[in-house]
Amino acid sequence: MKRYDLIVVGAGPSGLSAAIEGAKRGLQVVVFDENEKPGGQLFKQIHKFFGSKEHKAKIRGFVIGEQLLKEASELGVKVVLNATVTGLYMDKELVVKIADTIYHYKGDAILIATGAAENMVTFEGWTLPGVIGAGAAQTMMNLHGVKPGNRILMLGSGNVGLVVSFQLLQCGCEVAALVDAAPRVGGYGVHAAKVARCGVPFYLSHTIVKAEGEECVTGVTIAEVDKKFQFIPGTEKHFDVDTICLAVGLSPMSQLLKIAGCEMEDNPKRGGQVPICNEYGETSIKGIFVAGDVSGVEEASSAMIEGRIAGIAAAQYLGYIGIEELEEKFEENKAALEGLRQGMFAPENRGKLIERTEEGIPVSMNLLTKGYIAEDEIERYPGVTHRAGIHPVMECSQNIPCNPCQDACPRHCIQIGSHITSLPVVDESAQCVGCGLCVAACSGQAIFLVQEDYEPGYGTVTIPYEFLPLPQKGEKGYGLDRSGQRVCEAQVMEVKTAKTFDHTNLLTIRVPVDMVGKARFYRKIF
Amino acid sequence: MQHINDRAIAPGTFIPEPDDDRIICRCEEVTKGEIRRAVHEGMYTITEIRRYLRTGMGLCQGQTCARLVKGIVAKELGISPAELIPATSRAPMRPVEMKVLAKEEGRHV
Amino acid sequence: MSRRIAEHPILGVQEKGEKVTFLCDGEILEGYEGEPIAAALRAAGIMKHRYTKKEHTPRGIFCAIGRCTDCVMIVDGKPNIRTCVTPLKQGMKVQTQYGVSPKPFEKQ
Repeated sequence: MKRYDLIVVGAGPSGLSAAIEGAKRGLQVVVFDENEKPGGQLFKQIHKFFGSKEHKAKIRGFVIGEQLLKEASELGVKVVLNATVTGLYMDKELVVKIADTIYHYKGDAILIATGAAENMVTFEGWTLPGVIGAGAAQTMMNLHGVKPGNRILMLGSGNVGLVVSFQLLQCGCEVAALVDAAPRVGGYGVHAAKVARCGVPFYLSHTIVKAEGEECVTGVTIAEVDKKFQFIPGTEKHFDVDTICLAVGLSPMSQLLKIAGCEMEDNPKRGGQVPICNEYGETSIKGIFVAGDVSGVEEASSAMIEGRIAGIAAAQYLGYIGIEELEEKFEENKAALEGLRQGMFAPENRGKLIERTEEGIPVSMNLLTKGYIAEDEIERYPGVTHRAGIHPVMECSQNIPCNPCQDACPRHCIQIGSHITSLPVVDESAQCVGCGLCVAACSGQAIFLVQEDYEPGYGTVTIPYEFLPLPQKGEKGYGLDRSGQRVCEAQVMEVKTAKTFDHTNLLTIRVPVDMVGKARFYRKIF
Repeated sequence: MQHINDRAIAPGTFIPEPDDDRIICRCEEVTKGEIRRAVHEGMYTITEIRRYLRTGMGLCQGQTCARLVKGIVAKELGISPAELIPATSRAPMRPVEMKVLAKEEGRHV
Repeated sequence: MSRRIAEHPILGVQEKGEKVTFLCDGEILEGYEGEPIAAALRAAGIMKHRYTKKEHTPRGIFCAIGRCTDCVMIVDGKPNIRTCVTPLKQGMKVQTQYGVSPKPFEKQ
């Protein structure tokens, strides 16, 4: 048996963050992870994160993973992969399976950061090959470089369902439809809008009747449901698909804590069976800490902060630092955590219909039911303005904790202010130079540069573009509106790629002047 | 929280449902109908259901079906899933060959 | 290998191990060393990994991270191997699992 000051189970965002904070304070730390690669879900998250600088906003998940790993290794944290913790026993003894051998470890402090597991729903044919979890799709395409399917139906409109749908489109799959039994889109509107403008139809208040096929999925039938989630006869719709992706929520993977004897509770607000813990993440057993999704399903951004707090608390528990340092660091991190837990998607608002923004503007109902803001709704948002010359149009319509656009503009055209969830507004006195930094910085891809007076009869729209092949300058194609419908012919005037854009290319298309407020995506003529 | 293990609850007569043949526990191939019927036969706790039908006792140890089984049992008893005591968690958390379990202590990392 | 993503708009060209060949139910397939067996199979268009013991129905990849155990196959003679977390090696012998046997049910 070998002893460590702190043993962390799970090398995801919270586990690595805790290990870093522990090691910084002199703890000897080891991290076990059952996977072949570290980083937990971060390495599958290829979109830019929300939040502010302190939450690593506008950095892609997998890059954050690389940063955390580098920092951990520089601090001497040992990360052991392919190491499955199979049990956690009295006196903080762990049993770990590494390759074909069982090892015993003792931690003076333990941090469980095992994350969450996907929930599933059942329907006729749900065991057929081709029905997969959304996590499986992400793993196949983003870790292993293999398309999970060619034509896919996504069930679930939460952030996971939306983000994975977009990722499927990015790797060249076709998404036939996005379906959710709920009456409204569950995830961020900006994530939905990205998917909708690629032409993916949304079916809210619909769910899967059956997966079709004898040996594997060849199709799927969905139908509308009533308020009690019962199918409405006659509303069936069929799609030819080879893959059905399920993104219907996550449950904390807290079994190790139960084995250890930590007091647990069934808390639907936190996603299921979670340990009862204090503000530092310490469970009912002194010296056993938790952080991240295992103690309540949230985002990776908040998991990192929880990890930091728990890592510092473990150092204090072991006597490496005093209570003053813990309290001081806790206050800082708590503020960062509270920053993330604000706005329409704050934990206390889960499942609630919010009809107005903090500014008192009506929320787009079309966004919540179809995935895009309707023509007659868009003008009401403060980021959408008309003026001479090139200028940003920010189709940001929900209060989410995110502000990279404000920092991105070198001319300070964009203002969010001190309240991180406020909708961005355009400062009319500042002059936009069309650099496009805001377009690339917006994690929600909701900022466009518009020039209504480009030449007689024509204007230009600059859109964020994260697909291959990259269109060529001069190429002709179509402008697609927010719903993904072709609305006009479009010509590519410029394709800007820069390191600071971090793979978000800026595509400037020329469209008829009456289309500058409509065209939001581009597709080549084949 | 008050957990339900009340034998006074009578789930009534078993009424077949059209999707009773649907697999719930994918590993042990236990159907919704079997789980519902087990409740009517007196298995009111997740532990009893597990021992009676082997739900969640297969290779994956209930990773996928635990939540689904809980939902079905709770519905049958007319209670909230949160009122059911979840099944006991036991090591090993992942499938481990017996010969590996028996081979203790290599050189530590 | 049309299911392979040649170049990804964000991730670029992914680093892969050596190209290797392996046997799946007697057929020679190609994959990359170190990638999960399941990834190589999906790239080759193979969906079915096993048939279940009781109902004899097909199963394939479901969670892809080693939790659900639906993608188990017989690998080098050993049944119940989670193909989604088992790295591919040159010359591996992968077989469809019927119950826990490599033999189709009618021959068991």
